[in-house]
Amino acid sequence: MSAFRRKRLAMAALSAALALTGGPGSAGAKTLDIGIGIQNTTTNTVTGGIVLQQLGLFTKLLPRTGKYKDVTYSLSWQNFTSGPPITNGMMANNIQIGMMGDFPLLVDGATGQATGNATELVAILAYNAHGGGNGIIVNKDTPLYDFDDLKGKTISVPFGSAAHGMLLRALQMRGLTGDFWNLVSQSPEIGTTNLQQKRIDAHADFVPFPELLPFRGFARKIYDGAETGVPTLHGVVVRKDFADKYPEVVVAYIKAVMEANNWFRSNPQVAAEKIEDWTKINKEVAYIYLGPDGIMTLDPTIKPAWVTALTADYQVLQHLNMIKPLDVQAWVNDTYVRQAFKDEELDYDKQLKSTTGYDVKGQDPVCKAPVANPAQAGQVWVRDGDIISFSSPVCALLGVRQYQAAGKTLNAVYLVDHQLGIKVFADQAFFAVNDKDRAKPDITPFLLKRDAEAYAKANGGRLATYAEAIKDVASFTP
Amino acid sequence: MSAEAMPATDGPIIRYFEREKLDEIAAPAQKTLRLPFWFSSDRVITVVSACLSIGCLFVIWYLGTRYRINLFIRFQNIPTPHEVFVQAGEVIGSTKFLINIGMSLERILLGFAIAIILGVPLGLLTGRYRRIRELVMPAVEVLRPIPAIAWVPMSIMLWPSNESSIIFITFIGAFFPILLNTIHGVEAMDGVLLRAAQCLGASEPRLFWHVILPGALSQIFTGLAIGMGVAWVSLIAAEMISGQFGVGYYTWEAYSLVNYPAIVLGMITIGMLGLLCSGAIRLIGRLTMPWLAFAPGSRK
Repeated sequence: MSAFRRKRLAMAALSAALALTGGPGSAGAKTLDIGIGIQNTTTNTVTGGIVLQQLGLFTKLLPRTGKYKDVTYSLSWQNFTSGPPITNGMMANNIQIGMMGDFPLLVDGATGQATGNATELVAILAYNAHGGGNGIIVNKDTPLYDFDDLKGKTISVPFGSAAHGMLLRALQMRGLTGDFWNLVSQSPEIGTTNLQQKRIDAHADFVPFPELLPFRGFARKIYDGAETGVPTLHGVVVRKDFADKYPEVVVAYIKAVMEANNWFRSNPQVAAEKIEDWTKINKEVAYIYLGPDGIMTLDPTIKPAWVTALTADYQVLQHLNMIKPLDVQAWVNDTYVRQAFKDEELDYDKQLKSTTGYDVKGQDPVCKAPVANPAQAGQVWVRDGDIISFSSPVCALLGVRQYQAAGKTLNAVYLVDHQLGIKVFADQAFFAVNDKDRAKPDITPFLLKRDAEAYAKANGGRLATYAEAIKDVASFTP
Repeated sequence: MSAEAMPATDGPIIRYFEREKLDEIAAPAQKTLRLPFWFSSDRVITVVSACLSIGCLFVIWYLGTRYRINLFIRFQNIPTPHEVFVQAGEVIGSTKFLINIGMSLERILLGFAIAIILGVPLGLLTGRYRRIRELVMPAVEVLRPIPAIAWVPMSIMLWPSNESSIIFITFIGAFFPILLNTIHGVEAMDGVLLRAAQCLGASEPRLFWHVILPGALSQIFTGLAIGMGVAWVSLIAAEMISGQFGVGYYTWEAYSLVNYPAIVLGMITIGMLGLLCSGAIRLIGRLTMPWLAFAPGSRK
């Protein structure tokens, strides 16, 4: 690999120069430069990036024996807000390990194969099996509540991103064509500002923006990728020449990711707080994605369903003439992640079949019951306190009343959408309330107003906002 | 340009020359064979030099990518001229690409026109009056180094529409070079000219119109040429806002899809349009200031 020889040459020249000036020249020792392209603000990818960097997990696991005995590692963590600049760095061989969402991954693979800089997809960071995580958001002051309201409106999306893919699928599923709306390309930074200023009607984006902007108070999510039912994921790509030459380094990296995943799962609340410290993405948002029963599942295995989804994604891009040819089979390589599982004495094939994450657990302090059904669970994050789990939406809202009565401030309240099965912020949700039996009200949370209305109509109830729902539980005694 | 093509304008100095004398000065005696101006040997050399200048860039690019040169500077992944040519074949002539060019030109020219309208008068006043200078310059020096891309979020929030935000950023690019060069033009004027005009009883407005403006005009045009360049430089930052049209947007979108030939095509297009615009400014400059033909400075 001439790039490395050249870099070493440059290093040798540098150390010679340092020696001349009396600096520390280390003659003979090999330096291995590894560029890692990370996305700190894309919360899905933190266990492949900022967590490894901050906890030193990759450094700890780097091989130091055999042919690596005399190697000095020089890691450069390069942070970007989207995938394409990482691909650019990988093509220029400044980055050897990169991470990005599904559509950018495909562009990375295709560009690599077309320019003789082949890359390989070696592991997954996080996924949502139904496409949750991407979403369409609107300014909360606009009267748009549903996908159908977007007819003839201007929607911006970062072209070539996973969110762009979601929009194309959403149209396809409804049998609509591109003239349904006016689609323009805007990066998350631009789209966010434009949405705040109501200069566009809606903005579609990837993790964490569909949750972050509503959480920050000026947006409302009106469509979630989970409606498409097509898996979405973030993955790790490496340069093939690098992986062929240093397979142990790639395996070490994947092991570090697995350790970071365990670290997050072992104490998600503390982990989310750390993520906020490091990336400035609010802890409540990091928790809704990566916490128990979160929107995203941390799992490095490359499942056949993901490869199928990526192949379908590729066809979408190809149809739009936005991508070069890509041999998906040659590009996906699970040998490194298999080796990592083997080294850790874990069963890869068992994990390959599993599509479950970790569940909300605990004892409901209001209804005095264990949290048994994750699909019914609620969680309340008390400021400067713990995250308390509840066994049902009613119990959780009652808990909210009690904390509020005690003068406590709440960071966030999480419930699970009854229709889409994804975790939602309760204050952003719509509720179907049936309190004919005053002592035993039935409250069902939904992300979308449409779903809540339909449920209320079908089951005899009425639509309520978060504030109304809190009032409605007052009569309930567990 | 030789004197034949020069219109008999009545600039401040030229009106003192007789038309015949002009010819005599501009076309020396030894020039017996009168070729059309665009075919003089002088003109041919100019054209050849221009081709050589741009040709060199092309040759470096061609050879670099042909032999994939890898000597610290790496041509390994740079698209070849052929690839870019193929890309150009696909898009040039398509209405979409023409719309892109049209939109970008419109944005640049509007931003540039506003920069002239505000920059030149403000520059003249700032250059002439110390008190205004003391008021204006600190603010200008604070705002001037801010890169176009940093203005993007503020521009979106300041202006009501995308187009106005984009034009604002091209305006920012053009404004400061025009302003500063105008100020410098006024400051660098020969005080004798001012005093002479004042002795002859010129009022302050007449002084501005007949002495200061023509005196600073050469510097103002330098500012215009630089301003036009910087306006194009800030185009990508400006059109990141747009989301659908413009050469800058085209280049930016190509980056987000990692389509290298299209990126280079966008770069070349911006370069060519910039060249055309600067050329137009220089031409207008020479037409408005014919006296410069007789004041070559230290040009050889």
